[in-house]
Amino acid sequence: QEVTLRMEHFLPAQANVPKLILEPWAKAVEEESSGRIAIEIYPSMQLGGTPPELINQTRDGVIDISWYVVGYKPGLFPRTEVFEQPFIMKNAEATSRAFWRLFEKEMRDTEFKDFKVLATWVHGPGLFHTDEPIQSVEDLNGMKIRGGSRSVNALLTELGAEPVGMPAPSVPEALSKGVIDGAAVPWDVVPSIKVAELIGNHTEFGTPALYTLTFVLVMNKDRYESLPDDLKDVIDANSGIELSGFAGRTQAASDAPARQAAKERGNTVTVLEGEALQGFKDAAEPVIDAWVADIDSKGLDGAALLDEAETLIDEENEWLEAGNVSSGPLESTAD
Amino acid sequence: MTNLELGLWSFPVLLLLIFLRMPIGLAMLVVGFCGSWIVGGSTMMIMAKLKSETYTTFSSYSLSIVPLFLLMGQFATLGGMSQSLFKAAEVWLGHRKGGVAMAAVGACAGFGAICGSSLATAATMGQVALPELRRYGYSGALASGTLAAGGTLGILIPPSVILVIYAILTEQNIAKLFVAAFVPGILAAIGYMITISIYVRLKPDSAGIRERVSYRERFLVLSEVWPVLLIFLLVVGGIYGGWFTPTEGAAVGAAGTGLVALFNGGMTWRSFSESILATASATAMIFLIVLGAGIYNGFLALTQVPQEAAAWVTDQGFAPMAVLIIILVFYLLMGCVMDSLSMILLTIPIFYPIVIQLDFGMSVEDFSIWFGILALIVVEVGLITPPVGMNLFIINSMAKTSIPIRETFVGVLPFVASDLIRVVILVLFPVLTLGLLRVF
Amino acid sequence: MAGGIVLVLLTIMTCVSIIGRAGIEYGLRPVKGDFELIEAGVAFSIFAFLPWCQLRRAHATVDLFTSGLPPRVNRFIDLLSEIVMTVALLIITWRLYHGMMDKLGYHETTFILQFPVWWGYAAAFIPAVISCIISVYMVGVRIGELSNKKPVETGGTIH
Ligand code: NA
Ligand code: NA
Repeated sequence: QEVTLRMEHFLPAQANVPKLILEPWAKAVEEESSGRIAIEIYPSMQLGGTPPELINQTRDGVIDISWYVVGYKPGLFPRTEVFEQPFIMKNAEATSRAFWRLFEKEMRDTEFKDFKVLATWVHGPGLFHTDEPIQSVEDLNGMKIRGGSRSVNALLTELGAEPVGMPAPSVPEALSKGVIDGAAVPWDVVPSIKVAELIGNHTEFGTPALYTLTFVLVMNKDRYESLPDDLKDVIDANSGIELSGFAGRTQAASDAPARQAAKERGNTVTVLEGEALQGFKDAAEPVIDAWVADIDSKGLDGAALLDEAETLIDEENEWLEAGNVSSGPLESTAD
Repeated sequence: MTNLELGLWSFPVLLLLIFLRMPIGLAMLVVGFCGSWIVGGSTMMIMAKLKSETYTTFSSYSLSIVPLFLLMGQFATLGGMSQSLFKAAEVWLGHRKGGVAMAAVGACAGFGAICGSSLATAATMGQVALPELRRYGYSGALASGTLAAGGTLGILIPPSVILVIYAILTEQNIAKLFVAAFVPGILAAIGYMITISIYVRLKPDSAGIRERVSYRERFLVLSEVWPVLLIFLLVVGGIYGGWFTPTEGAAVGAAGTGLVALFNGGMTWRSFSESILATASATAMIFLIVLGAGIYNGFLALTQVPQEAAAWVTDQGFAPMAVLIIILVFYLLMGCVMDSLSMILLTIPIFYPIVIQLDFGMSVEDFSIWFGILALIVVEVGLITPPVGMNLFIINSMAKTSIPIRETFVGVLPFVASDLIRVVILVLFPVLTLGLLRVF
Repeated sequence: MAGGIVLVLLTIMTCVSIIGRAGIEYGLRPVKGDFELIEAGVAFSIFAFLPWCQLRRAHATVDLFTSGLPPRVNRFIDLLSEIVMTVALLIITWRLYHGMMDKLGYHETTFILQFPVWWGYAAAFIPAVISCIISVYMVGVRIGELSNKKPVETGGTIH
């Protein structure tokens, strides 16, 4: 091959995202370049450093490509947080596509100007997994809950819970020892961190979701620019809105089996509605206001971003409901 | 040269630099830096990496446990806990044949329960027990051998700095590793005591006799060691019970031993700054090694050496037990010439992916804990194997030329034998390591 | 010494935080962002510890194979090591400076307290510079020792 690209991420190789999204993508690129591009994948931060540093390492060219949890570095990509706001996310695939469109319009030349972004996506609906059942906002009061990003922690605080920061792998231990009373994670990671075995209650919020987290697949910009045009084309053909939608859909597709397994264990899955749901929405309102104010203070227009994101999500949702579907790696050549 | 060859060649180069007495951390840093430079085609990559690598290594929350445990051990020394432990052990065991030496082992075990470092345990207990052992007519060989071996209990009995590093490297639960190390640590102490009693039977003139002490006096002395027990239970129990994170546990331990030292007058401004400075130089040394190992292992991963090695071992279809034994023997041999922390940091990223694929009929977590304890023990044997055994040097230098180093080397051999027997027992019966985890 | 004071303060802060967390029912609160304070504080401490380790020559070494060599050769090896160490520290400090400028330029903040990450880098940068100065000084000391006939002292190790 002519070009070897090094991709690094922080999950073990057999986890869902690497297995179902990153590896198929790498394989598609390798095949469509007729073997001229080789992609070496380094799981579990094998090349050293910490997960939050992945983004800087990609920008500086320490690695060529990385998969990154945007929330790791609060403040670095302020606009992405619009998708992490409470009760915004409607469907992971649609929201991922909307994320891409907003990225192209508002972020490509601003906060991501130093990167070649390959895909942008979100995980399925985030929900609470707790020891004690949650029927209303009041039930959450004083509970120690593990949250995964600045936005989620702000939401937890506003809802009266005590946010506790810890990496996902520490959750089972912390749950079993009572260090935390619950965790906010999407269904798809529940089996790998054994949450359903340790607690008995899962509280869902229907659509739109309580929250989600944003992810990006990024490439070093200079590295991309240095490729011959035909290889750039291969990368381009395999990235963008379709890959984003595919990734969002794939990650969310792991939700249902996990949910089913928890039910089969005899766990209670509560879907909040009516007054109880409204209680959460009301309590979450200040979070959005505070975020808008924070974004405004950075010289951006928070309210406009929020509007734009919601419109895009609705448009993409309609597109999906019309029977369309994002094409994944190795499928794009077929259409 | 392919990247893979480059990775393989880096081992002899690294060893050469280390054997030329370059600080180990620096040697790994230099080889890792130059290696990444060659693989990357320019210094751009490694230079960019170094922008954050040093800071993120030094500011790691999980690694911050290391200076705190070291501080805890230093304060424990100030608090006179070593003296009270030795006194208590002495009045209970001292009148037996070889009893004062057994008491030293017992006190080392006790001190190990509040000190995360082997060297600090050897140094502290050496100061307290060596004069006593000599006073009761113990030979130089037995006295220095006992204390050098006893020092390793500082790291075998939790808390333990090496286990912390292993836990971070392999993403295992620190608290579970501590609990798993407990029974093997106690077995080590018992093994050393048996060794002493055999030794004094074979060489009766190597030990004197100490008179018996009344039971009233024995219990009186026992009342002085309660802070040790309390702090141990608070730290290890608190970490395992989930009251606090391992780092917080270490902070609690440091505060606890610090308070004891403050109350019994051991803490003066002078002794306080001495313990801070001792903690400082040990911490800096450890973190330089951690940083060097991080850079070096990052380079190795780039050359695909660990990946290829794991694939190769799997393809050969070796018996799992054979692979395990080869690795343990390798550690024992390396331990004769190298320092234990460097060995763990250097080899676990290579060996762990290999052994984790082997089928020992236990879960990945159980296996990781069991392997970690075994590796810890064989690496620690390195501290007392001649010719390079730090504990031997420490104890010997304390004796201020009254014991020739040759005598120390000979005196420690029975204890090395006891260690080897224990390794075999632990390999054959994993339940000794994992059993306690099932109970709680 | 400053690093040691910070370490002790961190110890106390952590204990206060644990007590605060245990007493949530009684209206107490853990120290906000205690993890982040520990991280930044420990990074500063360790950078501050480096020069001391250097002065004490406490870095772990293996001197099995060099102990048989004449003192002069050993002194020369030491000098070379010291020079390499100085170069390494200079590179580390220089890169730390660039890391700091990055964090400053991109407005990175921490997770909970949201204080700028570059503060931590800046705090670490000062002891890192001191390390470099001491390291250069130690090269001078080693050059001065070249003519010394006494045997060399051994390095330290721990655990
Ligand atoms: Na210990
Ligand atoms: Na040795």
